[in-house]
Amino acid sequence: MFEKVLIANRGEIALRVIRACKEMGISTVAIHSTADSEAMHVKLADESVCVGPPAAAQSYLNIPAIIAACEITGAEAIHPGYGFLSENAKFADIIKEHGLTFIGPTPEHIRMMGDKITAKQTVKELGIPTVPGSDGEVGDADAARLAQEIGYPVLIKATAGGGGRGMKVAKSAGELSFALSQARTEARAAFGNDTVYMEKYLQRPRHIEIQILADAHGHVVHLGERDCSLQRRHQKVWEEAGSPALNAQERDEIGGIVTRALEKLGYLGAGTIEFLYEDGQFYFIEMNTRLQVEHPVSEAITGIDIVREQIRIASGAPLPFTQKDIAFEGHAIECRINAENPFTFRPSPGTITQFHTPGGLGVRFDSAIYSGYRIPPFYDSLAGKLVVHAKNRNECLLRLRRALDELVVDGIETTIPLFQKLVREPDIINGDYSIHWLEKYLAGLGH
Amino acid sequence: MSSKGDKPPHSDIKSKPDTKPGVDAAAVRELAQLLKETGLTEIEIEHNGARIRVSRGGGAAPVMAAPALAPAAPAPSAAAPSGPPAGAVPSPMVGTVYLSPEPGRPAFISVGKTVKEGDTLFIVEAMKTMNAITAPRGGTVLEVNVGDGTPVEFGQTLCVIA
Repeated sequence: MFEKVLIANRGEIALRVIRACKEMGISTVAIHSTADSEAMHVKLADESVCVGPPAAAQSYLNIPAIIAACEITGAEAIHPGYGFLSENAKFADIIKEHGLTFIGPTPEHIRMMGDKITAKQTVKELGIPTVPGSDGEVGDADAARLAQEIGYPVLIKATAGGGGRGMKVAKSAGELSFALSQARTEARAAFGNDTVYMEKYLQRPRHIEIQILADAHGHVVHLGERDCSLQRRHQKVWEEAGSPALNAQERDEIGGIVTRALEKLGYLGAGTIEFLYEDGQFYFIEMNTRLQVEHPVSEAITGIDIVREQIRIASGAPLPFTQKDIAFEGHAIECRINAENPFTFRPSPGTITQFHTPGGLGVRFDSAIYSGYRIPPFYDSLAGKLVVHAKNRNECLLRLRRALDELVVDGIETTIPLFQKLVREPDIINGDYSIHWLEKYLAGLGH
Repeated sequence: MSSKGDKPPHSDIKSKPDTKPGVDAAAVRELAQLLKETGLTEIEIEHNGARIRVSRGGGAAPVMAAPALAPAAPAPSAAAPSGPPAGAVPSPMVGTVYLSPEPGRPAFISVGKTVKEGDTLFIVEAMKTMNAITAPRGGTVLEVNVGDGTPVEFGQTLCVIA
């Protein structure tokens, strides 16, 4: 087992990893920019190294500085968290070259799943259902014919995109060439790569993803599904484990398909396969080869510490459980509390003047903020994640309502009021929503 | 103790009697008298669209109405850390600092030495490469703040040149 781990991240996820390390008796090294000198993850780690000025490119994305921080502290392994360098294959390569351990999958698999066309082709061969589409790059010459075959509406997607970025819809043949050129232009600007592919556009799908863990001995398990349909501009806002739309049998079925596929692939570490789900059918959209923001809801219903298992897997240990040992208990919901106006979503960095976390049975709040803390304007606006667990979905909603009403984050604007409304909305209470629901709801409020 | 429903107004909003025309001096005197009579240390009210706060002792620091419920963690220092000394040369990178070009050779600089802009002061090693740290300006070395072969982080003061 590692003696010392460096956490190449900040905010709540850095805290999350530090907590897991502490529970395992592993020494922790935090890295930080000058803007984060007073951050909670720096205070709680055993050691810290300032790696650069506020800009992420010169600090949290600064590979040489992070490797140097490992050198001077003697850290043997790096946990990349999510975002930043967590899906950067070059970073994983460099770590390996320096005799250190990257807590995550192999650089090869990071690359494979980072390219959306390759990812789709790979998982299709492994037996995972995919969205009908172009099966590769689409050019102007074949676009119209392909779209006819697939059937409108179609979606043009950037291969170098992800997380919902770089996508344009063509509802009919007349819109096709405009959608193609728009998508290419945006992709070139945002990702430096204008390669695009085409997929059938699903009208009212849910976003359902499967969490998996794979050790270095060929064992793969799934921790059930998460329903992340409530999104604004492709950013998840509210996630549930399990999905209101699936039953235990459907969960077992898709879980089995996914674990068998990843066993064949020889995957290592934690990962999430994301699907669109419509009319009982699953359609693969992408695989995230890292820990995800919403992992706590899966931890709640399985009792498994995903970060702990990531670290154990990276150290070569086998998974301490088989699929048969994993039981799904109750229901969990996470609300991402952002430092933003709850309805316009304008960012609200600033000083937190009062902070009170709700408590009680089944309530968890993962956050790096504290009273008097100044949220810097340079990074994402996630202030904390409220995660609630109960025996069933109804009790979970009631507990969430209670916890939201108790949570106090003053001095900045937060999205707490939005969640207080959502938890009282009939469609949400009934679990009756698709990936378009939240934006329609917000538009209906006049935003 | 206040409940969520009747939280007092945020105390970071201060009145500015010197910028508002026609300050209600009578209201201020009345509040000051109230303070004395009741033994309170601070009163803040909204009056005619303006907020007035009167506090005993002249303290201007905002006061929380309820004790701040910080998470069970070491209390963060509210005061900003004191800045580096004037003339400090900060490290532009993370690594291990060396005072001389090679072990056994004399150090680049010592206290009292005069340096020109661009003179090599230290070497910082990271990822097996040696990086020369040069003087950003000419002057006299007042302090050398790091030991040979010790780790340095971004922004750490290496020496002081004035």
